[in-house]
Amino acid sequence: MIDPAWVSALSAILFIIGLGGAFTRKNAIIVLMCIELMLNAANMQFAAAAVHHGDPTGWVYTIFAIAIAASEVAIGLAIFLAMYGKHETISLDDVDVLRN
Amino acid sequence: MAGAGTDTIIDSELMQFAPLIILLPMLAFPVILFLGRVFNRNPFWKDTMKEGGIIALVVMASSLIISLLLIKDHLGGFASMKDSVDFLWLNSSVYESGNLTSISFGFGIYIDHITVMLLFVASFLCLLINIFSIGYMNTDPINDNRNHRFYAEFVLFCSGMLGMVLADSFLWLFIFWEIMGLCSYLLIGFYYEKPSAAYAAKKAFLTTRIGDVFLIIGLVMMWDMFGSLDYDVIFSAVEDETFMAGVSSSTLQWALGLMFIGAVGKSAQFPLHVWLPDAMEGPTPVSALIHAATMVNAGLYLVARMFPFFGSEYLQHDLVDLAFIIALIGGITAVMAAAIAFVQHDLKKVLAYSTMSQLAYIFTGLGCAMFLANTLDWQTDADAHYIVIVAFGAALFHLFNHAMAKGMLFMASGSVIHEVHHAHHHLHHHDDHHDDHGNHDEGHEEEFDAQSMDNMGGLASKMPLTATAMLVGSASIMGLPLIGGFWSKEGIIANAWRVALEDPRFFLPAMCVLVGAAMTGFYMSRMWLKTFAGKPKTEVAAHVGQTNTWIKIPLFVLTFVTLSAILFAGMGFTHWAPDSEYGLLSEKNLFDGIAYEMSHAFANGDTFFFILTYVAIAIGAVLGPGIALSLYGGSLAEGEKVKPWMKPIIRLNAWVYDRYNFDNQAIANSGLSRALENRLYFDHYYDMAMLKIVAGFSDKSAETDKNVVDGVIKKIETGTQSISKVVRSMTTGSARDYILMVAVGTLGIFFLLWGVA
Repeated sequence: MIDPAWVSALSAILFIIGLGGAFTRKNAIIVLMCIELMLNAANMQFAAAAVHHGDPTGWVYTIFAIAIAASEVAIGLAIFLAMYGKHETISLDDVDVLRN
Repeated sequence: MAGAGTDTIIDSELMQFAPLIILLPMLAFPVILFLGRVFNRNPFWKDTMKEGGIIALVVMASSLIISLLLIKDHLGGFASMKDSVDFLWLNSSVYESGNLTSISFGFGIYIDHITVMLLFVASFLCLLINIFSIGYMNTDPINDNRNHRFYAEFVLFCSGMLGMVLADSFLWLFIFWEIMGLCSYLLIGFYYEKPSAAYAAKKAFLTTRIGDVFLIIGLVMMWDMFGSLDYDVIFSAVEDETFMAGVSSSTLQWALGLMFIGAVGKSAQFPLHVWLPDAMEGPTPVSALIHAATMVNAGLYLVARMFPFFGSEYLQHDLVDLAFIIALIGGITAVMAAAIAFVQHDLKKVLAYSTMSQLAYIFTGLGCAMFLANTLDWQTDADAHYIVIVAFGAALFHLFNHAMAKGMLFMASGSVIHEVHHAHHHLHHHDDHHDDHGNHDEGHEEEFDAQSMDNMGGLASKMPLTATAMLVGSASIMGLPLIGGFWSKEGIIANAWRVALEDPRFFLPAMCVLVGAAMTGFYMSRMWLKTFAGKPKTEVAAHVGQTNTWIKIPLFVLTFVTLSAILFAGMGFTHWAPDSEYGLLSEKNLFDGIAYEMSHAFANGDTFFFILTYVAIAIGAVLGPGIALSLYGGSLAEGEKVKPWMKPIIRLNAWVYDRYNFDNQAIANSGLSRALENRLYFDHYYDMAMLKIVAGFSDKSAETDKNVVDGVIKKIETGTQSISKVVRSMTTGSARDYILMVAVGTLGIFFLLWGVA
């Protein structure tokens, strides 16, 4: 069996990739994907912790987080659709209506 | 001995239903309002349901029946007749200095001797006045299509009064007290389109509010001292030696004194009396119910509730000053109000001042009873005990007599006004019947005052039942021997003098109530004679007809109640004092009781009281009415016949009038008389003081508001704006920056938690 420490490390790498992507990309859909990546990294960390502690609570959290992530993606995509309808772009650099 | 006997707690099964007495009218309030809105102008609603009058009648009758059943269970001889039941409302736990104490808030019913008496008075008069209202309100076109508002407010008021009487704590007493205040405001302003009515409503509300502010301060002080406002808790605490050791009697006296100011406002005593005469702007049933029979008794009830403080053996001699103030306020008001009543021309205003004066008698009686309870060793000495409860019972008995008689007098005056108004209407609008009623009413209201006694006269033959009721009521208020008010008034005067002999300060109130008796005799006789005797002073008065049945019923019933008050005297009004061990009928039997009262009143062994009784009778029943007889009234118009029982009075009046009539123009035009007509300028000075003090203060506070308060607010505002300008520059609107902020923030929190761990 794989040592949970490796899984933890993998989750950390995934998280940093996601974070970097979220900072640097300007396409909203890719940013959303990066955020999903970070979320999954967190899920993986839960799973690793569950194995490490021998406590199934971590698994349960993972299942919950996946379910919530699914609905969150749906909301995110709906926002982008609305954004596109209004601004005709989904580039994050071009949309700054909340400025000041 | 007495009083210290075993406490008998009555366990009445009906107590569970007692809240219905309050709840039924309270629930009828929205029902009548709602139905009135929906079915307004519906003929069935208007003619059969009397615009809600019948609903109110059913509700008040049910309340009366439950009350009577409840009262029946609580009659009897008990050392301490107290019964209570609690309905928990909410329970709150307070964690204080290491102890978890639980405070329960709930509504409870508390019944003792005072409650029994007032419950009967309130529910009985509410029902009778409801019957009267149907005859009075629904027959006047000016009220059409808005009577539902009257009945809705009426039942809400009744619920307030009954609730105040039954409540088991000072807090609930205050809540119901305010409900009554609200209804009083609404009902006085029933004709809100009339500026004078709107003004009177505001005046009544604000004047009583002054008293209420002091009342609530007093209640807060009580809460501070006793940790509760429940009667049970407080009244057992004042009998607890160890507890009372930690209570400052002067603070307690202040608290009770502040609560007494609330009572002064509610019961229209000097110096907060100015609202009651103006309150006569309301419809007559309102005057009868609120400003004569029930609400004004709330103040007396509150003072009567204070009895356990005065009676406590750990507060002996500590509350004497407050007892004196209560008696003094009563004495001053009794004479002042009676003097103003001398010169009033408005029938209802005379009754209003008479109400103030009679309530003042009761205050004096209570003050003296409190003094006796506070100075005598009444809990162990049987003779002292009897003196105290008789003094207290006499005051409450006067409350009973006055409520019955004054309720009846107001209803009778309403009957007179109603008929005079109709006669006027009939006489002047006979030809143009088809015109709009409303316009005529307003057009002629200016010229013809249906309430002025100068437009009446000689009505005794035209309205025999009303005249009889008025006669009996006046006799009761005047205290003519053997009729209702005589017994209680004698008791109050005698006790005031008994106290005056012990404490010379009380000489003033004692003198006031004695002189007041003569004054009462004068103004009540004047009122009756000006209205019912003599020749009609206007054409309208000559054409007055009989009243309708709805109005006759309560007049008829109350005439007999007032006449039969001697039975209550015989049964011993000692029953009504708290801590009385006497039950109704249990002390002596009826005839022995009456014989005892007779001998006690007319053949007192003590020479001083023997003379006092006859002096009081001489000035109250002979001197006062005698002067009135010679000045007002006279023989009726030719061919007019009166009922046989009124004949002697009319004859006597005609004889005295013809023989001893003297010219009182000099007195009538004197400065004193003018001052009295202007109500001793109280309203004038109050208005002026209000203008000077309040308006000046308002101007100053407006300036302060503008410069200081607004200045500070403006500074805060501009400061905030400039800060927000800086903060705003941080919001770039770029999603990337927000993600960065979230990341940095999360990292910050992480390190923070790490550092803590």
